[in-house]
Amino acid sequence: MERKLSVLILVYTILVVVSAISLYLLGERRVDVYVSLNILSYYVSYAVMRPSYTSRSVRLLNIVLFAVFTVIVSFRVYEVLTS
Amino acid sequence: MNTRLLILGLNTLVVSLLLVVYGVLVGDNGLVGVAVSLGIVGGVLVVYSTTPQDPSIIALTSYSEILVNATTSALEDLDLLEPSICAIRRADLTLLVYSKTPCPVEVDPGLGFTSGSPYLAIPVKTPIELTESSSEPAVTQLERNLVTLLVDEYSACRSVRVEEEGGFVRVYITGLAETLRQYCERPVDPYALLVLALASSILGARCIRLVDKKATPDGLILVLGVEGVGEKT
Repeated sequence: MERKLSVLILVYTILVVVSAISLYLLGERRVDVYVSLNILSYYVSYAVMRPSYTSRSVRLLNIVLFAVFTVIVSFRVYEVLTS
Repeated sequence: MNTRLLILGLNTLVVSLLLVVYGVLVGDNGLVGVAVSLGIVGGVLVVYSTTPQDPSIIALTSYSEILVNATTSALEDLDLLEPSICAIRRADLTLLVYSKTPCPVEVDPGLGFTSGSPYLAIPVKTPIELTESSSEPAVTQLERNLVTLLVDEYSACRSVRVEEEGGFVRVYITGLAETLRQYCERPVDPYALLVLALASSILGARCIRLVDKKATPDGLILVLGVEGVGEKT
């Protein structure tokens, strides 16, 4: 289990570093883009590695991150619709 | 708790906080974005530091192997390979009893005979410090304590659900640990023993019998029969 967890953290960190550096070099200034890509990176690594056993706090983290991602996407969709 | 991961996560959070402050001061929103992203990584690390660590499951697996090997040979000698398993509550401990008679009345720890048939009684103490609440039904308390023991403490499974139905208590265990799954087919099954030991302590019954055990693709369903609730032991 610990090996899976380590690989999950490694994959997640690599994805976050790559996405954050790329966005910064591309001149992206919107904070929510960084946050949403970070959350996406987390879910991609979680789906790929999928640790067999999770604690209550990890399940809560998954819910919170999903809620934050939903709010960001909803806000963007709302902006597109009202513009 | 993984202390190294916790410290790493907290350090990452502190660094991200400093970067956010710096980014705001210099008016660089890109830097703030990177810092917030780093902060989320720190938060994830802190949360994952609370997940159970391998030593618990390794210790449980190692102990289970020793227990299964020792007990199985004793059960073979006693011709108890398809026994009735029950937990009998005593004043200060619980006896997990393998016998042909369901819920034998007079048993002592170890090997013996009761009503003309052999039995093997393993004395166990409550595996964890129970968190009890008088306002909660006993089944809910059992579920909460099983989650604490099997999921949070040992990481022996992914989830546990308990239901009461027609005088029987059904325990649904899903996402079994690979290292312990092999014992589910054996007479000495750590899942059944832990559930029986905990149920005996929480439900306060004289005897709790393992009525049925079904393997599902994702786990295990244990059906417990509760006998003698509220009787003095």
